[in-house]
Amino acid sequence: MIRPRPVARLGELRLLVWVAAFTLAGYVAVVAAASGRFAWYEIVVPIAVLAIFGALHLFLASIGFRGDQLLLPISVGLTGIGFILVERLAPGLLLQQLSWLVIAAGAFCVTILIPRDLSVLARYKYTWALLGVVLLVSPLLPVVGREINGASIWVGVAGVVQFEPWEFVKIALVIFFAAYLEEYREVLSTPPRRLGPIPVPPIPYLLPIVGMWLVAMLVMVFEKDLGATLLFFGIFLAMLYLATGEPFYVVIGLLMLVAGGFVAYHAFAHVAARVDVWLAPFNSDLRFDQAYQLTQGLFSLANAGLLGAGLGNGMPEQIPVVWSDFVFDAFTEEVGFVGALALLAFYLVFVYRGMLIALRAPTTFLQLLAAGLSFIVAFQTLVIVAGNAKLIPLTGITLPFVAYGGSSLVTNFMLAAVLLRVSDITARVRR
Amino acid sequence: MSERTIARNIRRLTLTIAIAFLVTSIGVGYWSLVAASDLNADPFNPRLIAAVRDRPRGKIVDASGRVLAESVKDGDAYRRRYADRSVAQVVGYASFKYGASGIEGTYQESLIGRDPADLLGQWKARYLGERTEPGSVVLGLDPKVQEAAVAALAGRRGAIVAIDPKTGRILASVSVPSYDANALVDPQQQDIAWGQLNDNKDRPLINRVAQGLYPPGSTMKIITAAAALESGFDPNQKIRVDDPYQADKSWGDYFVRSASGSHGDFDMALAFQRSENIYFAKVGLTIGAQKLIDMAKKFGIGRAPALDLAAAKGQLSNNGSLDRPTLLADTSYGQGELLTSPLQMAMVAATVGNHGVQVQPHYATEIRDGSGGILRTIGGGAGDQVISAATAAKLTTYLVGAVEAPGAFAFGARIAGVHVAGKTGTAETPSGSPHGWFVGFAPAEDPQVAVAIIIENAGQGGVDAAPPGAAVMRAALGR
Repeated sequence: MIRPRPVARLGELRLLVWVAAFTLAGYVAVVAAASGRFAWYEIVVPIAVLAIFGALHLFLASIGFRGDQLLLPISVGLTGIGFILVERLAPGLLLQQLSWLVIAAGAFCVTILIPRDLSVLARYKYTWALLGVVLLVSPLLPVVGREINGASIWVGVAGVVQFEPWEFVKIALVIFFAAYLEEYREVLSTPPRRLGPIPVPPIPYLLPIVGMWLVAMLVMVFEKDLGATLLFFGIFLAMLYLATGEPFYVVIGLLMLVAGGFVAYHAFAHVAARVDVWLAPFNSDLRFDQAYQLTQGLFSLANAGLLGAGLGNGMPEQIPVVWSDFVFDAFTEEVGFVGALALLAFYLVFVYRGMLIALRAPTTFLQLLAAGLSFIVAFQTLVIVAGNAKLIPLTGITLPFVAYGGSSLVTNFMLAAVLLRVSDITARVRR
Repeated sequence: MSERTIARNIRRLTLTIAIAFLVTSIGVGYWSLVAASDLNADPFNPRLIAAVRDRPRGKIVDASGRVLAESVKDGDAYRRRYADRSVAQVVGYASFKYGASGIEGTYQESLIGRDPADLLGQWKARYLGERTEPGSVVLGLDPKVQEAAVAALAGRRGAIVAIDPKTGRILASVSVPSYDANALVDPQQQDIAWGQLNDNKDRPLINRVAQGLYPPGSTMKIITAAAALESGFDPNQKIRVDDPYQADKSWGDYFVRSASGSHGDFDMALAFQRSENIYFAKVGLTIGAQKLIDMAKKFGIGRAPALDLAAAKGQLSNNGSLDRPTLLADTSYGQGELLTSPLQMAMVAATVGNHGVQVQPHYATEIRDGSGGILRTIGGGAGDQVISAATAAKLTTYLVGAVEAPGAFAFGARIAGVHVAGKTGTAETPSGSPHGWFVGFAPAEDPQVAVAIIIENAGQGGVDAAPPGAAVMRAALGR
């Protein structure tokens, strides 16, 4: 094995200095606002977080990594914001989140190092599909399955560790779709027959992906997680469109979404409740009951104004479970509309870089893979932020990197690592 | 070739995502910038109550200066203390968890030192963190009248409201059953109390004065008579009454019934004294639906009074029109699908007493700043001419007759030495025995008080409601 030659990643380093600056400043502001002072030893946690960020940078530089230099600063920048918010909203969870960050950093490095050739992923596509299904079903299994807040989406050993498998499934799903669609996209994008203007898709070729998608949907509906169901649906549509460019699939997909939503509204009480809350959160029957969380979130947004109440000066802790479902509203209340736009810009730049990596990738599989993964980040952000702002019904999906949650943090670092790998491969091919 | 199509798809997907981000940003901007001022002043927003957790909130006092709500020190924080259960629905509560209601909600900003009239103070609070001392709210409630109203209702389910016909100031406001607002601001009791109050089918949290809706019964006849007089109907014309009455065979087995099984000729004065349903049904049919609809609208039926608390708007009928002759006939004497609040009916009486001019009612009269200076006064609008002074004078004569003439139904409202104008009402309701109504004002020539009383499921209807009316008016007149 050839020993890799280290490279300088100066752009990345420069951006990391900024990340360190605002993470530290924000953390100090939050602690000082809560207790009125800042003791020196309290600096330990943010320093540890920043040390991990720095270690990741050194790791990439030391192995001579040539990939994108923006994704890591953005990812850890968002993670830094996440830590500020955990300290602000749920300080008791801070150390737990820190240990998850260590695991996430490890997963990041492992994903960067192996597999050495990403096309391996494509070769074992049905293995990925199977792994996805197994992970999906696992929360329903006895012994390891857990039900928390009405959703059976957790796996773990009580009191020790638990995680949400669907977070990993979303990556497996993109890998499987990318690999499958690379192989069959010609057939799928030039339908052999047309009924007038309507193309008839080659059903047999669609079966495996529709089957995979259907399993994912059914399981998630069964486990009562609207957010993940919606995400899988989005991934399915986006991947089909990316591969075929056929608007027909999108139209059919959206019609199915409407029909599915209608059926779900009438068939499942938890879906109907979400929609009712969304339609009239200030209704006097709902506002102290099911709509309490959303109305408190909207009060948070209203208190934001242009410049915000200042870190530590708002009242976002009034929102129940604010640290997982409503971090966006909490963040906005204290940093204002301007701060919210900055946060959204972080995500938009992440997605933009991801899509750029996809555009430049040397093979169709890598293109679909990178675009699909970037889409995940965009879609999750949009669904949760729009839910927080009452543009769509609220679904319990995590705000990538920022929201508290171990499985989310680990998966998103792996996701960023795969994107970086694709850009690294591109850089080496182009050279 | 194929790589290029994928590139095109990636670009289009990215563009779609960018547009979605834009739309989402606009949504966030809507809540944080556009809708912000409404939400920040929302009585359920805990920030307003938290803003004064560590210092006292302003006082709420009645017209005599008696304290109805004040903040007392409780450990490190302040807690609200409420003095008078009989004004619970008016004063409301300021709960950290359940928001604020009543005057506590309406004048929330004044009570925490951010009165809208004090722009400098507001600006300082937002940007400098300097807090203006909280102001107080002075209510128009007169303790003598309020006490008389509580005694007159004597714990029966219902409501009493007394207003000054000239200014719209509310002198007394009682809604039974009431509740103890102290329980809602006690962290130990609040959840249980809140649950019980919301589950209680008698709905103690509702201010029956302004939010309770009832069929007005015969008190509606004032509006029917006003519509008739204003459209040139001759009140001295004798109209034949034969119980039971139907206009023609198309009514099938439906009849209007006379309260006293009358057979005879009635003019308007006699019809008011005996509260003759058939007379007013015939009047309504004669003048037609449109005249009655217009007059009810002018008096404010179907429109919430511009009150400084939540108020119901009521309705003339389910769809706003009177398209069936039987519905027109029933509405003319106060049944049908009519629904009004006691406050609305008090305003009807006040309008007649005030020479046809309707003034909007208000609970608060003054907002004071922290040092007791008057920041602003509430009310004092000019009012609207609803009916002509001549019509009002005629109606007053009939309403005095309804109280004072021999055999008049509302005899229970008489006050020695003062002419009282009034009208009882007995409202049929599907839920048990009929509600008893009384509306009136005194002195008839130059009224200082107008009242409306509803006693839910009173045994004898209007007959039960007239004496409390006299008691409340007596207190207001100081007799």
